[in-house]
Amino acid sequence: MHLSSSYILSLTTFVYLGATAIYLLYWIFRLEKVGILGTVITVVGFAMQTVGIGLRWYESYQLGYGHAPLSNLYESLVFFSWVTILVYLVVEFKTKNRVIGAFATPFACLAMAYASFSPNVQDTIQPLIPALQSNWLIAHVITCFLGYASFAVACGFGIMYLIRGDSRKSTSYLLEALPSRRVLDELMHQTIIFGFLWLTVGIITGAVWANQAWGTYWSWDPKETWSLITWFVYATALHARFVRGWAGKKIAYLSIIGFVSVIFTYFGVNFLLSGLHSYGSS
Amino acid sequence: MKTKNAHSQSNILVRFFSSVKLAVFLFIILAITSIIGTILPQGESLQFYLENYGPFYFKIIKTLQLYDTYHAWWYLALMGLFSVNLIVCTIKRLPYTMRLFKRDYLDLGKDALLNRPFKAQWQIAQKTNPADLKEEIKKSFLALVGKARMKQDVDGGQLYLAEKGRWNYWGVYLIHVSILIIFAGAVFGTFTGFKGRVMLLEGESTDHAVQMDAHGNIKKIPLGFTLKCNDFQVDFYPNGAPKLFKSDLSILENGQEVLKRSIVVNSPLTYKGVTFYQSSYQSVPDLKIRIVSSDGEQKILDLSAFDKGLWPKKRILIGIIKYLPNVHGAPAARIYVGDVSGNQGDAIWLLKGHDREVRVGRDTYRLSLISAKEKFMTGLQVKKDPGVWIVWLGCTIMIIGFGIVFWVGHRRTWLWIGQDGDKLNIILAGQTNKNKVSFEKEFNKIKEAINKQIGEQ
Ligand code: HEM
Repeated sequence: MHLSSSYILSLTTFVYLGATAIYLLYWIFRLEKVGILGTVITVVGFAMQTVGIGLRWYESYQLGYGHAPLSNLYESLVFFSWVTILVYLVVEFKTKNRVIGAFATPFACLAMAYASFSPNVQDTIQPLIPALQSNWLIAHVITCFLGYASFAVACGFGIMYLIRGDSRKSTSYLLEALPSRRVLDELMHQTIIFGFLWLTVGIITGAVWANQAWGTYWSWDPKETWSLITWFVYATALHARFVRGWAGKKIAYLSIIGFVSVIFTYFGVNFLLSGLHSYGSS
Repeated sequence: MKTKNAHSQSNILVRFFSSVKLAVFLFIILAITSIIGTILPQGESLQFYLENYGPFYFKIIKTLQLYDTYHAWWYLALMGLFSVNLIVCTIKRLPYTMRLFKRDYLDLGKDALLNRPFKAQWQIAQKTNPADLKEEIKKSFLALVGKARMKQDVDGGQLYLAEKGRWNYWGVYLIHVSILIIFAGAVFGTFTGFKGRVMLLEGESTDHAVQMDAHGNIKKIPLGFTLKCNDFQVDFYPNGAPKLFKSDLSILENGQEVLKRSIVVNSPLTYKGVTFYQSSYQSVPDLKIRIVSSDGEQKILDLSAFDKGLWPKKRILIGIIKYLPNVHGAPAARIYVGDVSGNQGDAIWLLKGHDREVRVGRDTYRLSLISAKEKFMTGLQVKKDPGVWIVWLGCTIMIIGFGIVFWVGHRRTWLWIGQDGDKLNIILAGQTNKNKVSFEKEFNKIKEAINKQIGEQ
């Protein structure tokens, strides 16, 4: 099979790697043309990935399984990477600041590299077992990953916030290019609320699905519990601004801790703990 | 003196229970303690924890009920405290939010405008027609903000206000209240519903579900009607993965069939508030065995997984221990053969086409497996949860609340045009409680438009 979906998708890994490198160059040299090139490469990678996902969907029909490409670890990683780029492109469009790209595209690139090249991840198209044959599954995966992708971008903002330092003190040439701490704080907050909204919808659609499949909307299985833990971390981040002395740096740390918790919910639970969601480990 | 003391004490309590600090503390504690139940196996017997973790940790596990972390007294207490925190906080902030919601934001003076987070001021020595300039500035302001209300004679000028998204203040309330609604639904469901299981062979029926508690005790829960399994079907993909589990079910009332439906995973059947979910299946053997005693007498016994076969005349009892559908191409079963008193007996492997002899007491019996069929037994999860609709209501309200919090900000943009001596004085001011970055952009656009108007004069 030449030009299969997994081939196209593995190529996007390199396109995103290229985009990351160009955004870094833009950050260092601050040439407008380099920045535009970064955006162009990212958009091309995004288009390729969209085609790859569409093709994979088509291939699943050809194999006679016929399901949306959102059903195993490989497909979810590809989707995570795709949404991360989507969220980033929206942020870039709104803020007109391309330095953020150097902190957001690496997440998409790493997710694709892991999906395409890790021996732990199989890229074959598998049929859906009965529990996964539900439209709620599609709603569940899409909403969860919108949340996860926003949290990846918010984590990027958190890192930027911490290295940005206090803008009143003299800053170096590199740090000057980052948005000010005030703007970063605001962007981080907006992105976290956006992610929190989708994570919440993701947890709810998961509950509806579980209720339909097993008759229990909440069973404290490790993946559910970890998504709740993640939810608490971001709830902390959202409320910290109303506690004296908790704003600023602490929220940036929480945004990073929150994303670590997302990663654990996503992988750690599959590989280290057992439960209903263990299908993700295949 | 006494009343004042009591008053300040209740104040301290209210302050404590309404503080966001407590909420943040609870978020962190709940996040950390929730980890326990994902690492420590849950719902095992106490013996299991003693054997695997030793007496010291066993004591901790037992005292803190870590074998069922999420229903442990301290976890429920944290949840309770969390609810109290939310209730008190919501009630306490209500009047304050009401004031914000009702306030007339046109009721401001010129100086107050200069205290807004976003502001710009122009003072123009008048050369040309000031009335024209005023009109132009007003027009470009309205073109960018849309509708605006106006008030005359505010510090000698006109004040315009464009306002959007007052509703934003209630978004957070919807979110917070929805959490309480979800809790209420969960608690209500726990006390008014039940959860159990039913295992039914094809053709079999039952009028109760079975519930097993943490200590392994079995309880029968009456359904109030009869459930019958007519047929069970399982399909596989070419690669061997399961594709479909399907049970054909009938509901009977007083022996009359009132409903007939088939269910699959993700598509349950609900009748009178009780829902049946396809959750598992077993294939159970259905064997015919010929048994011949040493005196030449023989009998054919039907055996299924749970029914023993009895040959009363010879006081012989046989039962299935294990069944393998395919051993070198033939079905095989491990069979127990003994006398009814249970004193003597033996277990043998019986393969179809190969007779075996077994001694029970002083007699010898010859057994052969005549036929082996498989029957399916469907496994259903049974649940009644009248609270689930309250939970879904809470979830819906929560999502609406998030939508309001995220997409609707309370944005206010003021324009004041007045005289300051012989100068034309213009103040532009803005305030938002959400998304300041994008508001700033809009604000700067208005500022530039006004700059342009002034430049053109
Ligand atoms: C899991 C439970 C909770 C969730 C999901 C939640 C969610 C939220 C969200 C999304 C916001 C809006 C944040 C923003 O706009 O920046 C908010 C604000 C707030 N929350 Fe909570 N919250 C929870 C529990 C609590 C609790 C227990 C308290 C108790 C004190 C509390 C007090 C507040 C306050 C005071 C605000 C600020 C409202 C304002 O903007 O004026 N929250 N909450």
